Amino acid sequence: MTGPGAELLQQVINGLAVGAVYALIALGYTMVYGIIELINFAHGEIYMMGAYAGIIILSALLALGAPLGLALAMALAATLLLTGLYGVATERLAYRPLRGASRLAPLISALGMSIFFQQYVLLSQGARDKIFPVELSSGGFSAAGVKVSYIQSAILLVATLLMAGLTLFVNKTRMGRAMRATAQDPVMASLSGVPVNGVIAVTFFIGSALAAVAGFMIAMYYGKVNYLVGYIAGLKAFVAAVLGGIGNIPGAMVGGLVLGVVESLAAGYIGGEYKDVVAFGILIVVLIARPAGILGARLPEKV
Amino acid sequence: MRIVARIAALLKNRRFAAPASALFFGLLALPFMGLARASILALAVLLFRFAALFGRVPSGLRIPRGFKRTRALFANLPAPAKRSAPLLLAALLAVAAFMLDPYTLDVATTAGIYALLALGLNVVVGMAGLLVLGFAAFYGVGAYAYAILNTHYGLGFWTCLPIGGGLAALFGLLLGLPTLRLRGDYLAIVTLGFGEITRITLNNWDSLTNGPNGILGVAPPSLFGFSFDHPRHYFLLALALVSLSVFFLKRLDKSRIGRAWVAMREDETAAEAMGIPTLRLKLLAFSLAAFWGGVAGVFFAGKQLFVSPESFNFLESVMVLCMIVLGGMGSVPGAVLGAVLLSFLPEVLRGVEEYRLLAFGLAMVLMMRYRPAGIWPEAHRVLETREASRG
Amino acid sequence: MGNPCRAAVILATTLMVAGMSACGAGGRFVSVAVIGPMTGEQAKQGKDMADGARLAVEEWNARGGVLGRPIELLVGDDAQDPKQANSLANKMWTRGVVLVIGHYNSSCTIPASEIYNLRHMVMITPASTNPKVTDRGYKTLFRVCGRDDQQGMVAARYVVREMPDAKVAVLHDKTTYGQGLADEFLRNYEKMSSRKAVYYGAIVKEDQDYSAVLTSLKAMGPDLLYFGGLYPQAGLLVRQMRQLGLKAVLMAGDGTYDPEFIRIAGANNAEGSLLTFMPDQEKIPGAQAVLSSYRKRFGEVGPYSLYSYEAMNIGLAGLGQAKALDGLKAAFAIHASSFQTVFGPIRFDAKGDVLESPYVVWRAESGRLVQIPRQ
Repeated sequence: MTGPGAELLQQVINGLAVGAVYALIALGYTMVYGIIELINFAHGEIYMMGAYAGIIILSALLALGAPLGLALAMALAATLLLTGLYGVATERLAYRPLRGASRLAPLISALGMSIFFQQYVLLSQGARDKIFPVELSSGGFSAAGVKVSYIQSAILLVATLLMAGLTLFVNKTRMGRAMRATAQDPVMASLSGVPVNGVIAVTFFIGSALAAVAGFMIAMYYGKVNYLVGYIAGLKAFVAAVLGGIGNIPGAMVGGLVLGVVESLAAGYIGGEYKDVVAFGILIVVLIARPAGILGARLPEKV
Repeated sequence: MRIVARIAALLKNRRFAAPASALFFGLLALPFMGLARASILALAVLLFRFAALFGRVPSGLRIPRGFKRTRALFANLPAPAKRSAPLLLAALLAVAAFMLDPYTLDVATTAGIYALLALGLNVVVGMAGLLVLGFAAFYGVGAYAYAILNTHYGLGFWTCLPIGGGLAALFGLLLGLPTLRLRGDYLAIVTLGFGEITRITLNNWDSLTNGPNGILGVAPPSLFGFSFDHPRHYFLLALALVSLSVFFLKRLDKSRIGRAWVAMREDETAAEAMGIPTLRLKLLAFSLAAFWGGVAGVFFAGKQLFVSPESFNFLESVMVLCMIVLGGMGSVPGAVLGAVLLSFLPEVLRGVEEYRLLAFGLAMVLMMRYRPAGIWPEAHRVLETREASRG
Repeated sequence: MGNPCRAAVILATTLMVAGMSACGAGGRFVSVAVIGPMTGEQAKQGKDMADGARLAVEEWNARGGVLGRPIELLVGDDAQDPKQANSLANKMWTRGVVLVIGHYNSSCTIPASEIYNLRHMVMITPASTNPKVTDRGYKTLFRVCGRDDQQGMVAARYVVREMPDAKVAVLHDKTTYGQGLADEFLRNYEKMSSRKAVYYGAIVKEDQDYSAVLTSLKAMGPDLLYFGGLYPQAGLLVRQMRQLGLKAVLMAGDGTYDPEFIRIAGANNAEGSLLTFMPDQEKIPGAQAVLSSYRKRFGEVGPYSLYSYEAMNIGLAGLGQAKALDGLKAAFAIHASSFQTVFGPIRFDAKGDVLESPYVVWRAESGRLVQIPRQ
């Protein structure tokens, strides 16, 4: 059976899969913004590098003869670690020295890092698409004319687990508490013995690692990646973060899913070429009409 | 958490710092660059760190002494000479136009277009302190205004120059009205989104813009029946436009408005408390910058005789931003200098052109860290940094 | 003019510049250029073009050059950006070049050719297939590959003949090339079959996810999806079609002729996809000698290597026949004569296109692209 109802449902499911990826990337933006109030422009590139690192490491493991399941797990773990460290290095080299400088300086530095990473991958890996080394099944669950592929289900599942884990981490652990304290008032937190620099580094690590998972899964889903994908995905994820209220972790998840679905519906019912106009249009409208985002702001503006 | 603290402590230990960071960067680079090149990188980091240990590495980026001396010479000139120096330079360049080969003139004209863009962006980013990341949109509006008005209605270059600028300024005003209340980083993102929307619209509105094919057959400028067809003519026109802009913007910078912008940039709350109408000043900065963007666009269309949406993408906005960052944000001569340097850079870097953007990205980071005021800092900033360094 | 002082200054400067660039356009060499995307996504296609042209120049130089002088080959990188294409065209003019082989993308070729026309330079494109390249009636522009309207016609004819009852959908990537090709296919298809396409739409080239558009498309139940665009997007499209359970055959144009298409799509997903391209060069008897010397010199032969090679040969032959370093005269000579090439004899029509439409249909079969024999 197919029909307008099934088509709509299919669009929503496709949108949720893409939205889950946006949400994972958006978490990194939102965590970093919450803690040092910086729009980390390089975050989209971190996601892109995660996808590259995943493919490169997985290919190497498979070439060494590792069985597929083990290789996938090991590659994912190595990618997480490596990409997380890229995030930490970025913070240490490009943002930390600028703490306390004018507001424009770290933004421009972040923009510079973004260009640098993009070119770094282009020059070291070439301009052609990097192809995922194994072809995964394109099968899935089908019912009533709606199909959910295995990879889509995996993306939704992994994203949900990670988000739940992150929420627990931030709310229940010592480190999570330190992060919240630093976000609220870094000076006060530092006076009460929180190692602020370390907390910021951990924040960058976690945000980047989440982006790496998103990159790895997207490389699996689309079967390829190229050095330009970080820019657009980063922007979209930022829109998602703003949509949910930047600095707000559950907001980023909701924002990502909402954006994914809205985009999918726009592309399906208005036309594929207007997809991005809709996404940026939403961004502008939300920022003007409700700058705190859907779920409202957690942090008042600091003066 | 204790682990984090311990790692941090270990890294602070001088004996471990150098090899640890070498290993760290080598590992990071390994999957991307391969074993051989990653080892070279690790070795380079190691050497650099050891050199730093012995205090051989300068802590800041040094400007070539010759350049600094020239600038100092210029700064110490008696007032009348100082005032006429730019005029002299312009005259010298006009003479040079008759000696340089057409290709150099062509590149110089492109530098001129970028100088107009940089001068415009400098008004909003440098002087007023509002980060705009979608400046290419205004550039595109100007270029398409001329292309469409010329090919459809036969309007000439000189008529379109103010129209294109004015249209872009109107766009700036329309965008600015609702968005300028946002704080700095949100504003940056909104302008970025606006830039993307403009480019996508240019690409999709086939009936007006001819979509991805762009508009061909734009007429070159002509003056009293004399039609521009040599790079020299364009160069002289660019020189005239840039000189006029510098003249005007220099005066604006020193005017009440210019000083109000600086006050607003440095502390908006304080400025507002002093009775400075910040919203109106922001709007003015926005639309003035957009005006220059539009004028540059009209000139671009008149030079290329062709416009298409790709020319107004995000990278173009970033390039212009990079120019003013390099030249010195807020500094009028800095904007021109940055535009000229970055436009001629690819010509100098023959053979290593692929590394151009990599170097730009790195330069933006390094400039922010070591020389946030750029190579030709604006006068206010020289004072500020002096005060800041005194502590 | 007539100012002796200025004339002296100009003369002195010219001498100085000429002296500094001793190997430039000083007169010892005939300078010719090949321009394409040498960096970026399409760097490989650019390199193929440059190598093909270089092989031709080396052969000519071994035979003593052209017009009694050795030939110098300048390589220009337009980075698939119309603006850079334009400024390179100007640059080549200032360096005294009268023969340019290029560009790759129609979106670069079209604006740059305005300058070639203005400056009387011969331009021969080995790869730009958009009709507008030659439709403006400029005398110095030629192309050795086919045109999108021929390509669209060949594709439409195939569909009408082989799948007469198919429901056809059309999609493009909103670029000069992709939209142009999709429109040509659609026009020809609707004329030949007197049926309408069930869907016409676009995707965003920079995007990776086309599932939304494909879902709408699936509701129309198409049997064939014609795509105007390049191989990275075509590969993703067919992959996502299969993931959504959409079984329509994908058909595309020459921009999809690349082994990467199948690698991105996955061999199973790509199986049975169709595209139009020039005939298999491996099967042309006359091409074997050139192919083997190309391989010896540069390695793997790209889809446009031979076209670039022959474009350079034709251009140099034109210069030789014109007996002068003069673009207009060379263009007249090229229009007036017939050239023996590895593809067979080539003659140009008044617009500068080759007379014979070269396109044939290819199909993806067990992980490879195979030419379907002409019927």
